[in-house]
Amino acid sequence: MSLSLYALLIGPFEGFSFMRIALVACLALALANGPLGILLLLRRMALDGDVLSHAVMPGAALGFVYAGHSLLALSAGGLASGVLVAGLTGLLGRTKPARHDAGLVAFYLVTLALGVTLVAFFGSNVDTVRVLFGTVLAIDVRALLQIAIVSTLTMVVLALFYRPMAVDSFDPVFLRMVGGHGMRGLFAALVLLNLVVSFQAFGTLLAIGPMLLPAAAARCWTHRPGIMMVLASGFGMLSSYAGLLLSYHRNLPSGPAIVIVAGAIYGVSLLISNIGNFAQIIIKGNDP
Amino acid sequence: MLAAVITSSRAALDSAARTMFRRNFNGDQLMGSPVADNGIEVREISVRHGRRLALEGVSGRFEPGSLTAIVGPNGAGKSTLLNVLAGLTRPYRGEVVCSARARHGLAYLPQQTEIDRDYPVTVGEIVGLGLWRNFGAFRTPAPALADRIAEALGAVGLTDLIDRRIAELSVGQVRRAFFARLLLLDAEVLLLDEPFAAVDAGTVDVLLALLARWHAQRRTVIAVVHDLDQARAHFPSTLILARTPVAWGETGSVLTDRNLAKALSTA
Repeated sequence: MSLSLYALLIGPFEGFSFMRIALVACLALALANGPLGILLLLRRMALDGDVLSHAVMPGAALGFVYAGHSLLALSAGGLASGVLVAGLTGLLGRTKPARHDAGLVAFYLVTLALGVTLVAFFGSNVDTVRVLFGTVLAIDVRALLQIAIVSTLTMVVLALFYRPMAVDSFDPVFLRMVGGHGMRGLFAALVLLNLVVSFQAFGTLLAIGPMLLPAAAARCWTHRPGIMMVLASGFGMLSSYAGLLLSYHRNLPSGPAIVIVAGAIYGVSLLISNIGNFAQIIIKGNDP
Repeated sequence: MLAAVITSSRAALDSAARTMFRRNFNGDQLMGSPVADNGIEVREISVRHGRRLALEGVSGRFEPGSLTAIVGPNGAGKSTLLNVLAGLTRPYRGEVVCSARARHGLAYLPQQTEIDRDYPVTVGEIVGLGLWRNFGAFRTPAPALADRIAEALGAVGLTDLIDRRIAELSVGQVRRAFFARLLLLDAEVLLLDEPFAAVDAGTVDVLLALLARWHAQRRTVIAVVHDLDQARAHFPSTLILARTPVAWGETGSVLTDRNLAKALSTA
């Protein structure tokens, strides 16, 4: 019994180095993604995050076209187009809210279409699937190192600037009045960096998933932002581990498997935290 | 280990912090009675919202220590003017002379609707931010500051709600919390956008008492107000705005039927 449990839960990681590297990479990503995802949700910027994750794609595709499978070119290109789109959406932020939404969706669509077109034109269908959904199991030691550096940097910056960043997420005007500035840009830079290093693992369509879903699940359990962040990182790690196991045993694509598990955790969290509401609706009908 | 690294790098970053948040560190000189010039002068200010002019050639002066109500019809540019005074909106023409703003001695309270009531933040945390210049972005707040937070909460009647999240409060209670924060901020100039909108009568009285207190302390207070009787009773100065000043000065001589009719026809 214990032997089969071992084969089920630990064996895959002991037997295959690509599984080990993938696990460590996902855990490192989850660590930084937790607090970033919470701040993204608290700022009500989930959509902006989604747009940024697609913004990485055209640049990464260009890097891929010119330098083949060089990780550095891929990341540099992704970062460049991400910065460009972040700057443009920043300008959008000054327009009316309704137009802001439409503008974000426009960016989302155009960057995605541009990225897919570039990859399909210069590469193959396999490449297209790879940039859309990522290849967690293809992460090598150099990519892992890149993830570790960004994850560490994110945690240190968040620890140092936590207070002004938290205030900026709630009341940016106040922070400006007392003389603080630059937090929005710093936060956007952290999100972008993490999306760029997540790109290889989860692809442009799913990169925002490991950031948002555990955070959304964590919000269901507590009202304290600090605890929320810890929970979000924990949920992210749990879904990484469970998702990798699921993909190994059932022969599923690993990135989507991780996102599905994260989604399931969110669903269960939502259900449990709202069980009172649901019960009321069932008993009393739809009136709240 | 990690904690030690963070603590030591915190010290190392203190100088960076000083540059970034410089003004917080000399803020203490401003404590007590604001005696420096805390008036605001506006010169020929025009603001565009798209093709429409929200403000057109606004000129005049908010005297140091004055308590001014800004009244006017919808779309008169009242909020826009406060935004310009606060430095949040840049006019496409004209300038604002406000030395308090450069000293970070200016506090701005936006309309209720600008506040995200779902944000998981407690009354105590909001009010505590009023003591920002005592700890800034990086230092640990001194435990003694808790007394001052309690005192400010007492002044607005929220003592028992210190640990409540704002999602659990009424509109009036949230207003009170933000006024308690203003109380601790100790600003020379206070800009309040519709502070009395949608709040209960008891809260209005508490807020008006605070306005009177700030006025007595010679702070410059400017509030957008809808209730003309309120303006007459509690504000010595009034500005009637309809994209451009219709009348500006002592409340009694400003709030006449003729001026009000004129404001309605210009807006």
